[in-house]
Parts: sequence; structure tokens; C-alpha cells
Amino acid sequence: MITLENVTKVYKTGTVAVKDLTFEITKGEFVFIVGASGAGKSTLMSLILREELPDKGRIWVAGRDLARLPHWRVPYLRRNIGCVFQDFRLLSNKTVFENVAFALQVIGRPRHQIERQVPQVLELVGLGNKMRDLPEELSGGEQQRVAIARAFVNRPLILIADEPTGNLDPTTSKGIVQLLDRVNKTGTTVVVATHDASIVNTMRKRVLELDNGEVVRDQSRGVYDVELDDSSAQPVGARSKGRRGTVLR
Amino acid sequence: MAVPMNFVAREAGSNLWRNRLMTVAAILTVAVSLSLVGAALFLRQGVSNATTEWQHGVSVIVWFHPSSSITEQRAVGDELAQLSYVKSCAYRTQTDNYNQGKKYLNGLLGSASSAVTPAVTPASDNCVLKNPDEAGAIAAAFRNQPGVRNVSYPSQAIHNMENVTRTVQLAFLIVALVLLASASALIVNTIRLAIFSRRKEVSVMKLVGATNWFIRIPFMLEGLVQGVAGAVVAGLVVLGLDWRLNAASAGHFTSTLYKMRLTGGEVVLIIVAVGIVGLLVGTLGSAFAIRRFLDT
Repeated sequence: MITLENVTKVYKTGTVAVKDLTFEITKGEFVFIVGASGAGKSTLMSLILREELPDKGRIWVAGRDLARLPHWRVPYLRRNIGCVFQDFRLLSNKTVFENVAFALQVIGRPRHQIERQVPQVLELVGLGNKMRDLPEELSGGEQQRVAIARAFVNRPLILIADEPTGNLDPTTSKGIVQLLDRVNKTGTTVVVATHDASIVNTMRKRVLELDNGEVVRDQSRGVYDVELDDSSAQPVGARSKGRRGTVLR
Repeated sequence: MAVPMNFVAREAGSNLWRNRLMTVAAILTVAVSLSLVGAALFLRQGVSNATTEWQHGVSVIVWFHPSSSITEQRAVGDELAQLSYVKSCAYRTQTDNYNQGKKYLNGLLGSASSAVTPAVTPASDNCVLKNPDEAGAIAAAFRNQPGVRNVSYPSQAIHNMENVTRTVQLAFLIVALVLLASASALIVNTIRLAIFSRRKEVSVMKLVGATNWFIRIPFMLEGLVQGVAGAVVAGLVVLGLDWRLNAASAGHFTSTLYKMRLTGGEVVLIIVAVGIVGLLVGTLGSAFAIRRFLDT
């Protein structure tokens, strides 16, 4: 679903954001991207969304080579990728229903489809009774649920979340990650960039760790910090696939 | 993907309302500048109509000194009648010219009217030429004849009028261009404000896969509305000018204003031209703003 091959991105200032990244995320996987601030997590998300192009290497997303994707086709690529952010990015003048419906309106979906799909997805995220509320009337966790509903309403192949629990308390964070897990169970590939050790440790999903723009760990059923993981000496997962389940540092 | 027009119209409408002060300023500036363009075109067409009308009418007027003798006047009349390119001449007495002048000036002289009497008004020979181009030759030949005060001919009047209107038109067009430039700048600024105030929505639209055209069209429509609204006001000004000209010249069949009157088709053509300029200003202004400030 997402494949990176020797991807390097250097900013104009000379900062190397990511360096020689090579990995593959298959259809239906749930992957955490972890690492300290400045490790390259957000750049990686921008590259997947084709907000930026790499200086070296190639990226395939949903079967498309991003370097060869013409500018006018980028919106069509993004319809296959749902996005969730730390700051929710909800439109404050629109209700919960309108915020989610907006994602369908702008890609030209007919009204009857919007009226059917939006309540369904709001029920899925547990906000069926708050459709007419404005974002400011909701808690942080509820706002993030709206953001997930908006990202998922178009049934994308991939859902990427950049620090989705960054502004939330631990209990709410757990609920959000469980929701992302439910989304994942529908067959959507989920990629979560996070600093939140507790959710990574609870979920025990594949973990890709970045450090100074390089992948230093790719571990199945991983934890946030390998030093704390008893099983890290013998990483679990499909070693046969080579990159998976390997501690690279 | 087809762009749903109700969505676009709603978005453009809410943008216009959100920045209504800037919108009104832009529309008014477009309206004033296009009114000047319309007025310049109106004047140009009017002068052109008057010129055509004159060329088919009286070609030369030989004005006599009020003190000139009948003998001098007859001598000039006989000489004019013998010229092969003169079709016909009509002698108008001092009283005839006094009455006609009075009718044309129609109270404009005010207190000075008591000083103007038939005795100080010149008599004239009004001649129609077979070839109006010979008017200059007659003027040169008769200007210094005994008893002749002056010789006027339409080509001279037309020439003078064309000079005046050319200057007025140029002034109108320069002012209109300056105003159109400011109108475009105001449209650009309004769109820029709209883009800024909707930057969050635009970023969400981009993330969920709205096409570039889908994002741009509401802003384009906004500029278009401003240009067209200004053009509509300018069109009304042109209609007002036409109505005023018709009202002022009604009944004065020989007056310059009457000769300048425009046909319905000509007025419509000017309004269409003004509308096209309005469309262009709105579209180009918003296109520039989108290109410059909207990162899609």
C-alpha cells in the first residue's frame, strides 16, 4: 500500500529531514511511526501525502508512483488517504455533521450519499447524538473523533494520523487509538506518527522508529522504547520478510 | 469532476458577505471607471453621428457684417450662385438669424439677452454644396469680400468638435484606466482577504482531495460578481446618459445634441462593451489573486 525506496529529503537550509528510507507498509496494516521531535515523522507524512517530493528515491502510495503523478492528479490520490492531525483542523463555523459532510461535498458526492454516509460514520465514532453541535461545544476527544470521522467518511484505503493524541489525556487517547484500530479492522491501512508511548505499548502493533531521518527500528508487535521491551532482544514478527521485526541499531 | 454550482455559489456568496465593505468598494470603483469608459464611447459615437449628419446638411454659411449694404450682400449671393459646385443657397435675414439664435439659446443668455437685437445679428447666405469638400475653398475666397464678416463651414466645426471630443475622450480614458487599475487592485485585495479568511477551509479541502478548480472557482466567481455588478451600474449610467441626451435635444431638430443622438442598437453595443470590460476586470483580477495567493 505504501512503499518507500531509498527516500531522502533535504530542505533548502541543508537540513536532512529523512535519509535513505526504505520500507513497505502492506494493505490493512496498522503501523506506528515513533521517534523524537525532528526525527522526520512529519516529513514522512508530507511525503506520503505528496505535499512534498523526495530529493532522492521513490515512493508508491496506493499503487501510484508519486514522482510520476502529475500535479492535477494529486487530489485524486488524496481521496484515498484520510488525514488526522493533532490540532483536529475542524471548521469552527460548521456543525459536526457539516464538518464531516464537507469532505464529501468537496469531492462532488451527491446529497443523498452524504445524508446516508455521514450519520453512519458519526455513529461509528460514537457521536451519533452530537451531529448538530459545533466543534467548540465538544471535548478534545470528541473533536478528534469528528476529525477521524471526516478522514474515514470517504472510506479511504489509507488513514494517516500525525500525533492524533497529542492534545488529549491518557484515557481519551486510549479511546482514540481504539477507534483507529476499529477503522483498521475495516481493512483500511492505518499509519500513526506519535510520541505517545502508552498507546504504542498498549496496542502492540508494528513500530517503525526514526532517528535523525533514518529508520533505526522496524518491529512487529513493537513497543515505544525498545530498551523497555523484554522481547526486544529477540524481536518478534516475520523475520523471514527481512526488514520486519528487525532492530537496526 | 463536475463542480456543484449551488456549493460554489454559496461559498462565493458567503465570501462576498464576509468582506462586504471591500466588496462594495471594489464594485463602486469598477462602476465609476466603467461609467467613464461608457461615457467616452457614448461621446465618440455621438460625435460620429453628428459628423455624418452635418456632412449631409448645410455646407457653408457666409455671414455678413450687420452694417453691410444690401448691394454688397447681393454681390456675394450672385457670385455664390455662379459657382459650379454650389447646389443652392438660401438668404437669411438678420431677423431670421436673430429668431433662430434666440430659439437655440433658449434663455441661456440671461440678462445679456437685452443687448442682442436683430440689428446686431448678422444676415447670412446658407449654401448646400454638391461636394462638401469644396467648403474650404469657398471660405478662403469669400472671407475677405466686402461686407463679409466670416465664413463658417461644418468641416471646420466638425474639426473643432473632433479636437475637443478627442481631448475629452482621452481624458476620460486615462481616468478610466487609472480607475480600472485601482478597481483591479481592489478586486485582487478582496480575493486575497477571502483566501486568507478561508485558509483553514482551503487546507481541509486540499487534504480531502478537492480538485484545484473546485477550490479556485468560488474565488473566481467572487471576482466575476464584482466586475459584473460594476458593469451593471455603468450600463445604467450609459442608459441615463442616453435618456438625458434625448430629453435635452427633444424638439431641437437642428441642434448639435439632436444630431448626436444614438440609436438603440448603438446604446446596447456600448453597454455590451462595458459589460465585457467588467467581466475581464473581474476575471483577470481574481485569476491574478488566485495565482499569487492561493497555494493549490
